Amino acid sequence: MSIRIVLATLAALVAGPAFAHVTLETQTAAVGSTYKAVARVPHGCKGAATIKVRVQIPEGVIAVKPMPKAGWTLETVKGPYAKAYDYYGTPVSDGVREVVWSGGRLLDEHYDEFVFRAFLTTDLKPDTTLHVPVVQECEGGGVERWIEIPAAGKSADDYKFPAPGLKLTPKK
Amino acid sequence: MAALHRLALVLTALLFAAFAASGSALAHAALNGASPADGSVLPAAPSEMTLSFSEPVSPLALRLIAPDGTATPLDQVQLRDRTLVIAAPAGLSPGTHVISWRVVSADGHPVGGSVLFSIGAPSPTAPIAETQPSGVRPMLWAGRVALYLGLFIGCGGAAFVAWVAPLPARARGAVSAALLLGLVALPLSLAAQGLDALGGDLGAVFQPPVWRAALGTSLASMLAIAAGALASGLLALRLTGCLGQIAGLCGVGLVGLALASSGHASAASPQALMRPAVFLHAASIALWAGALLPLIQALRRGDAAATLRGFSSRIPAIVAVLLGSGLVLAVVQVERPAALIETSYGRVLLAKLALVALVLGLAGFNRWRLTAQVETGRLVAGRVLGRIVAVELVLMLAIVGTASLWRFTPPPRALAIAAAQPATIHIHTLTAMADVTLTPGRAGPVHVAVMLMNGEFGPLPAKELTLSFANPAAGIEAIERRAVRGADGLWRIDALSLPVPGRWSVELAILISDFEMLRLTDTVEIRP
Repeated sequence: MSIRIVLATLAALVAGPAFAHVTLETQTAAVGSTYKAVARVPHGCKGAATIKVRVQIPEGVIAVKPMPKAGWTLETVKGPYAKAYDYYGTPVSDGVREVVWSGGRLLDEHYDEFVFRAFLTTDLKPDTTLHVPVVQECEGGGVERWIEIPAAGKSADDYKFPAPGLKLTPKK
Repeated sequence: MAALHRLALVLTALLFAAFAASGSALAHAALNGASPADGSVLPAAPSEMTLSFSEPVSPLALRLIAPDGTATPLDQVQLRDRTLVIAAPAGLSPGTHVISWRVVSADGHPVGGSVLFSIGAPSPTAPIAETQPSGVRPMLWAGRVALYLGLFIGCGGAAFVAWVAPLPARARGAVSAALLLGLVALPLSLAAQGLDALGGDLGAVFQPPVWRAALGTSLASMLAIAAGALASGLLALRLTGCLGQIAGLCGVGLVGLALASSGHASAASPQALMRPAVFLHAASIALWAGALLPLIQALRRGDAAATLRGFSSRIPAIVAVLLGSGLVLAVVQVERPAALIETSYGRVLLAKLALVALVLGLAGFNRWRLTAQVETGRLVAGRVLGRIVAVELVLMLAIVGTASLWRFTPPPRALAIAAAQPATIHIHTLTAMADVTLTPGRAGPVHVAVMLMNGEFGPLPAKELTLSFANPAAGIEAIERRAVRGADGLWRIDALSLPVPGRWSVELAILISDFEMLRLTDTVEIRP
């Protein structure tokens, strides 16, 4: 038993920060740039296969172009932004607020990625974390909501279902 | 071999962890299933328990918490693929058990949770422990016994002497003694009550706060009325004729009033029924028990015919009132037959009823066999009757002694009310508030009701509400339950069992919209 605990602890040390959960592949990006978001879905909901992935586009992220996926139906939900953002000199006041991939079947033992491209406006604050909430719906009605945004002084590790995050850096 | 197998698994886990560090995505393990299933009720104890995870895991701490709150480490564990197979300890008792698990998943993150299952049926209420400072209990009991003897034997005896059996002054000594004993019991009872109220021990008996505390309780007015009853009794023994009879009757009436003014039964509702019932019960006890001493005196002197006739003609009505009022009191106080055996109050009642049955048997024998013989002048029968009445008196004392034990046993009715009190918490944050009510607020099965409000006391529209309860001090990892919203807007959880008392942490995960979640946390005290 004790050797197992030692090894498990060692494993914990090697693993370092959590790579668990639904996460983004690229976890740093500069504001005022185009970002390719790859949402990684490592498992289903308590063993059930994933049939729908919904991504909420945070405020300040515009010009969203999701990548179609074979075997999945791609939809977007459009709506007004809180304010007009500058997109290479053009004010943009509405666009995609949510991206939905549905109709596929990703088994618990398989892994997949869901991709979209977006522009990170300069209204986003550098040196903060941008959270991209993702909802994973599964067969049998199971839902995993990767939507928890850490409160001040807490980190994603303190939560069971942290929203995927992205560290923002100053404009290049 | 098994150890090697395990080592291999752990090494695999390490390898995965290394991959994790290098950037590949791995997940925390989640519990996919358990046997016994969470919340299940089994007819018999399981021989093994399994926990199936979504990822390979290593156990860190596995514990089984028994219905009585004791935790047993589970160390007979085997890993089969992603399933932990745990040998169940032998001799599991019926009731609710908790498997509290903590494992480390492939990504190196410890995760934990709890699985509850019950054998036979979910655990019933744990008994309520009582504490009392030493020495005060005997004093309370002795005071109560002495007071009852004064009231029943003394006041009842005085009334019997005044109305039925005019004894010569010498023969009244025993009744007077009982009355005086009752007077002595007054300050004794008051002091014991004060010590009990303040939780002090006998040494503190002369301190003024003890007496002030006692005077503030309902016992003080009871003792005042009892003093009046005892004084009336003494007066009835002194006065003759009509005045003596009035004083005697007053004494018995005051006995009824005294007992009806304080105590478990008088405090029970419906008061309009209970207080008169206590009054009649006490007065009829006094009339019956009080007759016994003068009867013995009369039988000893050999001219008991008139006294016996007077007693025999009155006693059936008195016993009928006694039993009728006693039945009413018992039904209200005990509530359900099982409480007769399960609670100490019920057991005292059973003991008392057994003694009463004995007394009634003797009384019946006296009345139907011996009384007629004594009336026709058979001296032998008179002596036998005198002895049996003396035995009756002793049994009466035993009944009084038994009934005085009720001072220490809250009736099942009161126990049920106390146990049913809910535990409540109010969580208040800037964005959301929650009123959580756990009914009853004691260990065992509970119903949970949650009212959600926004920061301005308005309604908080939520899509889902999940509560998790954990007791880190008892080693119980979070027990998660989804609440269901009722038509009245309250969120409820019906199938939850908090197996041990103590301080539980409560976390509410409120889903505001598909992408927005609020978490509120607090702690709640769960009684035994």
